[in-house]
Amino acid sequence: MKNFREIEHLSAYLDGQLNQAESARLESRIKSDPELNSVLSDLRATRSLLRKLPARKAPRNFTLTRKMVGLKPPLPRTYPLFRLATTFAAVLFLLSFSVNALSPYFSFGAAAPAFGYGGGGGGDATAMEEAPAAEEPMMEMAPAEVMETPASDSGSEATEESMRNMEATPEAEIAPKDAQPEATAESQPQELQPQPEVQNEAPVPTLWVIAFLVIGVLSALVMWFMRQSAASKWR
Amino acid sequence: MDETALITSAQSGDLDAFNTLILHYQDSVFNTALRILGDEDQAQDAAQEAFISAFKSITSFRGGSFKAWILRTVTNACYDELRRQKRRPTTPLEPETSDGEEMDSPKWLADSSMTPDQKAEADELEHAIQHCLDALPTEFRTVVVLADIQGMDYTEVATASRVPLGTIKSRLARARLRLRECLRSFEELLPASFRLESESTR
Repeated sequence: MKNFREIEHLSAYLDGQLNQAESARLESRIKSDPELNSVLSDLRATRSLLRKLPARKAPRNFTLTRKMVGLKPPLPRTYPLFRLATTFAAVLFLLSFSVNALSPYFSFGAAAPAFGYGGGGGGDATAMEEAPAAEEPMMEMAPAEVMETPASDSGSEATEESMRNMEATPEAEIAPKDAQPEATAESQPQELQPQPEVQNEAPVPTLWVIAFLVIGVLSALVMWFMRQSAASKWR
Repeated sequence: MDETALITSAQSGDLDAFNTLILHYQDSVFNTALRILGDEDQAQDAAQEAFISAFKSITSFRGGSFKAWILRTVTNACYDELRRQKRRPTTPLEPETSDGEEMDSPKWLADSSMTPDQKAEADELEHAIQHCLDALPTEFRTVVVLADIQGMDYTEVATASRVPLGTIKSRLARARLRLRECLRSFEELLPASFRLESESTR
């Protein structure tokens, strides 16, 4: 058996990979060495066998489809614009819708009067609630002043003043009794009325919310048509 | 077929141009995969994977032999498949003796469904060669398949297998030696015209 270096040379010689000088040297050795000649014959026969191996025809076509390679139909240049519009409209719609839906639970209603959003009703309601509270101390204080009047040594002006108070006191005492039903009768519709006003006048106008929704849906529809059109053209 | 123009078109994303190239090279690609893997179904999968991978990376083709480039892709696909097999070995479908040992006799190589003698001889030869190819280490098998079965020159084989030219010479010589030894054991099976001794002319 020859060493591997010689066999490597024989294999390369078989394929015509040796230069002229190397080939000539090897050929002279092959002529003089029968074993080397035998190895060359075997290598040649092996190569010949491999080359005679029948080439199989591909059992099917391996042509690729666009889906196989992940290609997508070319979309119009305006497509990203609509995608952006859809995204913005959707975000704005969700945001405005959420703000409007959550506004009754937060201080939007109380803050509104300061900014003039339906503040009239709210302000009146507060005044109505505070009105009796302001009158009550006066009513309580009036008898006290009456009681103190005899004990005081003040002049006629003080007496006149206390007399005026005395005159005023019955009115004040009567007034709450008469005013109470009136006040409750008036305050009940007034208390109920402001609340719907606050709900109606939402932080974001309803028209805007609807507009965002419509823009979003329309843009999405245009995108869908663009994709369908591009796909049908591509086919 | 203007191969350069088709390659240029394919590089700019023209799938139809690439499919024309596929139709031209699919037999070579499939045969290479078949000889390296030794299984037709796996060879089909490897060939398909190779073409998909080739299309995706065709912009990396910088000229030279397109055949060598595409065969390198299928060689890589075959290596991936062989690595997968190594991780998840499967049971061979070769017949076993009653003792449960794998039959390595020439009997199993014969295909009983083939009746014409010549066809049977050719099939037996093919089975014998494939059996010997399968026994080679993968890197030797790849080189011998590309050089002797696909008829590529050393430079193309070096390109396709990403191995230096000197290594190609060495691997090819070793592969041929081992094949010669292996085929000797099938000499009785081989038809007379294919016997090693009968080959003497270049």
